[in-house]
Amino acid sequence: MTPVDPVAAEFRAGGTDLSERRRSGVSRGAVLDIEAPAGMVQEPTGGLRIGALTRIAALAADSGIARDYPALAAAAAALATPQIRRVATLGGNIAQRNRCWYFRNPYIACLKKGGEGCPAREGNALYTVAFDTAPCVAPHPSTLATALIACDARLDTNQRRDVPIIEALGDGRCSTAEIALAPGELIAAVVLPAPIAGERAAYKRAVGRAHAEWPLVELVVSVTIEAGVFTRLRLVAGGVAPTPLRLPAAEAAASGQPTSADTIAAAAAAALAGANPLPQARYKLDLLHGLVRDLLETVSQRG
Amino acid sequence: MSTATVNGRSVEMPDGDDVLLIDVLRDGLGLTGTKQVCGAGVCGACTVLVGGEAVVSCLMPAKAAAGKTITTVEGLGIDGLHPVQRAFMAQDALQCGFCTPGFIVEAKAFYDEWRAARGVSAPSRDEIGAAFCGHLCRCGAYDNIYRAVADACAGVYDQKAREAPRLEAHDKVTGAAVYTLDIRHERQLEGLILRSPYPRARVVTLDLAPAGALPGVKAAVSLLDAEMRVSFVGEAVAAVAAIDRETAERALAAIVVRYETLPAAIGPEAALAAGAPVLFPKGKGVKHNAGEGGNSPAGWSGNLRGPVSAFSLRRKSAQKTIAAARAAGDPLLVEGVFRTSAQQHNSLEPHVAVARFEGADLTVEVSTQGVSALAAAIARRFKLAPAQVRVLARHVGGGFGSKGALGMETIAAVTLAKAAGAPVRVAYSRHEELSVAGYRPAVNLKLALLPSRDGAVKALSLTAWSDAGVAANNTVAGLARLIYTAQAKELVDYDVLSDLPPGSPFRGPGGPPMAFALEQGIDEAARRIGMDPLLMRKRMDNNPARAKLYDWAMGLDVWKSRGAPPGQGRYRRGVGAAAGYWLYLWQTDTKAELAVSNGRLVASLAVQDIGTGTRTIIAETLAREFGLDAADIEVRLGDSRLPPGPGSGGSRVTASIVPALLDAANRLKSRVQGAAKRAPAPGSNAPWREWLAASPDLAVTGGRPEDDRRNIYGHGSLLHEAGIVGRIFGFMLRRNQKMSAGAGAPSSVQVVEVEIDTWLARVRVVRAWSGISVGKLASAPLARNQAAGAFIQSLGHALYEAREVDPHSGHVLSVNLDDYRTPGIADMPPLDVHFEESGFDHVPGGSVGIGEVAAVPTPAAIANAIRDALGVRPHEIPIRPDRLLALMKEAVHDAR
Repeated sequence: MTPVDPVAAEFRAGGTDLSERRRSGVSRGAVLDIEAPAGMVQEPTGGLRIGALTRIAALAADSGIARDYPALAAAAAALATPQIRRVATLGGNIAQRNRCWYFRNPYIACLKKGGEGCPAREGNALYTVAFDTAPCVAPHPSTLATALIACDARLDTNQRRDVPIIEALGDGRCSTAEIALAPGELIAAVVLPAPIAGERAAYKRAVGRAHAEWPLVELVVSVTIEAGVFTRLRLVAGGVAPTPLRLPAAEAAASGQPTSADTIAAAAAAALAGANPLPQARYKLDLLHGLVRDLLETVSQRG
Repeated sequence: MSTATVNGRSVEMPDGDDVLLIDVLRDGLGLTGTKQVCGAGVCGACTVLVGGEAVVSCLMPAKAAAGKTITTVEGLGIDGLHPVQRAFMAQDALQCGFCTPGFIVEAKAFYDEWRAARGVSAPSRDEIGAAFCGHLCRCGAYDNIYRAVADACAGVYDQKAREAPRLEAHDKVTGAAVYTLDIRHERQLEGLILRSPYPRARVVTLDLAPAGALPGVKAAVSLLDAEMRVSFVGEAVAAVAAIDRETAERALAAIVVRYETLPAAIGPEAALAAGAPVLFPKGKGVKHNAGEGGNSPAGWSGNLRGPVSAFSLRRKSAQKTIAAARAAGDPLLVEGVFRTSAQQHNSLEPHVAVARFEGADLTVEVSTQGVSALAAAIARRFKLAPAQVRVLARHVGGGFGSKGALGMETIAAVTLAKAAGAPVRVAYSRHEELSVAGYRPAVNLKLALLPSRDGAVKALSLTAWSDAGVAANNTVAGLARLIYTAQAKELVDYDVLSDLPPGSPFRGPGGPPMAFALEQGIDEAARRIGMDPLLMRKRMDNNPARAKLYDWAMGLDVWKSRGAPPGQGRYRRGVGAAAGYWLYLWQTDTKAELAVSNGRLVASLAVQDIGTGTRTIIAETLAREFGLDAADIEVRLGDSRLPPGPGSGGSRVTASIVPALLDAANRLKSRVQGAAKRAPAPGSNAPWREWLAASPDLAVTGGRPEDDRRNIYGHGSLLHEAGIVGRIFGFMLRRNQKMSAGAGAPSSVQVVEVEIDTWLARVRVVRAWSGISVGKLASAPLARNQAAGAFIQSLGHALYEAREVDPHSGHVLSVNLDDYRTPGIADMPPLDVHFEESGFDHVPGGSVGIGEVAAVPTPAAIANAIRDALGVRPHEIPIRPDRLLALMKEAVHDAR
């Protein structure tokens, strides 16, 4: 067995994803170590600009983020392991490669390594998407991207400014990355809008073990509740689609409705609208359903 | 090139793109306490402090560490041991020790941070679980790690150390313990193996010349046999040895191989399909043994080997009784089809060998479970005289059954060392470890069990189809003969061979799969007749030691208060129990040399310590015998030149070596009393200390005597319970493998309480109880540690661990530690271990092995608890979220 052909040059920040792929032989192109500002700066608009090289542990530990952007804080604290969070960066997390075991196996060709077909689609599809919207069936790997969509974040790159993150991530059809950046384009900063008064947020992943497991399904919920009624909602799911997936039907089902069990049940049912999983991944719909119930209940019950 | 400070010393950090911090530490600086295991930042064995923060060095580019202060495990003990090191030693928070340096480094940082923020106080179990979730321990010492971290933070070890129950603990917590992976001889080369990309093919051309011609490449050899065939993806084709890994990788790519691909059958379904290619006509050419016993004769039909049904009891009667009950629609007849998935050993130290020739003499350092047997096997394979081969294994980073035989890593290392004329190391990557280094075979089981109203078994039928790729001879159903009485038992084993890598023995081979079906069958039968399932077991079990374990389990509060009907809320709780046994085996040719050297007692045996505590058991046994401290005794092991000892498999080490040591001790005592210059002072409270001090240097050798014929079981060997077939099997075992199956059976009865989150489909074991009968404990803390480790490893099999394969190409997919999911510290429930120490008084010393039996009942106990919680029974492990969801849909369906 010899590894299949590699792809092009890649940027390296903390290296927690790239080092593993280079050791295995999945990535063998040139490496461009990057230097970009870390740290956080208050924007004149009241928002927050976070440098792309900010460590995930720093995000998770920041009291300002915990107060103003609770969805991001919760997601940052729950991903990977403490050792990884101390080194991995915000930008690297957004731009990391997918976790598909066909992609990660250096001896198997696949679409994302310049190959012809998607072997997971015809093969062992246990961890594939539930919303099958692109040729590759690997779910998007970024937990932080999921949270950032819920925060209405924008990205600055070395080529563009103020790009809504959902637009930067693209539609999952790019054959060499899980984000739709131009060649040589590099995330420089994440810009968060001004905090939303009264925002309540929660993050959770459905996994087998207690910790340190890539999510089967993950969900970020961010809501405001006024007089017992859901006013602003963002539900964004990871692990289910080629990009982090906003769930507009679930949001619509709860928006303007009382925070009741009926509303939550309706939102959970609506979250599955449009799903088309491969048979082996059908279980992800039940997990998504359970997560929507769990997190909407959690945020509703919080004072 | 820039610099960094490593353990207080300024060192150069290379700025190559692909040089990682771990490479600089291990290869450049020789700081081999930092272990490489997964290479993916999952297991944490390579954790070091960079700028005071614990990070994984396997993913950090060396240039990113430039200018930083780096501390490895070797840097912690410089001014005496850190409190966390003392805590890990005193609490025995380790077994094989391969994960220990990573845990220690993380614990040091955690301790500092905790103290700064919270002062002298103990963190909670949850806090420790979250903080250490980036570390995996495969031996499963988690329970003691919790205690060690909590006690260290609470200040218990701030001032002074306490005694460590494990002899080599100091070397393991400081990174000083040298494993085979860490060895680096002068001129040592790195060997890599070229593997087949096809599941079945004939090699038409193998041209090694282009590889051999590359600068830095010192050898390129074929690993194919005369038939030039490969029969699974990853089968070894050729190997190269070069001055470093990068050069060896280039050499592999330069080898020219042309394959003629052949029709393959991947997995048992394909192998049994009509028109499937027959892989080994009538069994010809099967090279791999999935079980531990010798190859028993069996028929072949295509890719199906079997039936092997010799362990049945009145087989026809069992068939008739069950057929009649089925025809009559007897509501007591329990039937089910079960499946247990393949489980990877995943020892943290990979399969690794370092071979070197001096003239015609060969020395091989190997991560092995059997130095004695391996030396003999190498001599046979390479046609060397036994005296020319020496096998060494000082510290072994886990085995669990996968390192019992002569492996391809050793064959390649020896072949390359001979060709290159230099020492060669071959170390498997985690990808190789999780694909071609063996696994517990997957098993499909079909069960039928007919109880009587009063809790006896009228008939049992159990048929097993083992799926071990190209390996055969797995015994699963046959094991059901030696536990529980029944009027009739039909026990049938098959192997289904296919073009996948070979399975191999794994901790209690066949035991957990057999128990998964049988123990659920009994649980279900007890439910149907309305009897306590533990009471039913007690009634049909003639083993007096297990009877005591059932009484203990039935007395537990959790057991007495069970039985609430499954609720309808989100979280459901349930309690389940299961029993298991293993054979009591001992090695008949075991010898132990005991010497007095300068007044010191020295024990020498060709055994090895794979984390099970063999060193400690030797020292403790002698310490008790001579009234000394264990630390006073020098233990020499891990060297095939020492007097022959058993392999670390079949739970036979303790029961083989303790009697031999006692025999040697008796001989030594009379020799010393005859030769000593003076007798101890009358009334001395340490007479043997004085005898030894006054003794000239001398040595004796003890052997393993037979057991006392009198025992509480009423048989001379457990195998006799299987009638004439059992007697023949026992005779062959003794004659061919020098193993004796004694009277009685190591036994375990486990009770678990689970909580199921029905929304997120997660099973959490809330608490567990493990009752164990293995006689007197040779070392109580180590026995407890083993019991806890076996439990969590088997919990992994029950809930998380799945070896997944691509059905078309035959590639194994679960080849990294993200996708092969072993339990972490937070998955370890609080566990009560209860030892029933009677039952083995017929064994000299009174102790038998614990390693396997403690793992046997766990998946079944968890499954029975899930049945209790949900009202439906899981039939397939691991019980992952996807399977649990399917099961809950069954429950809803049943309720309608």
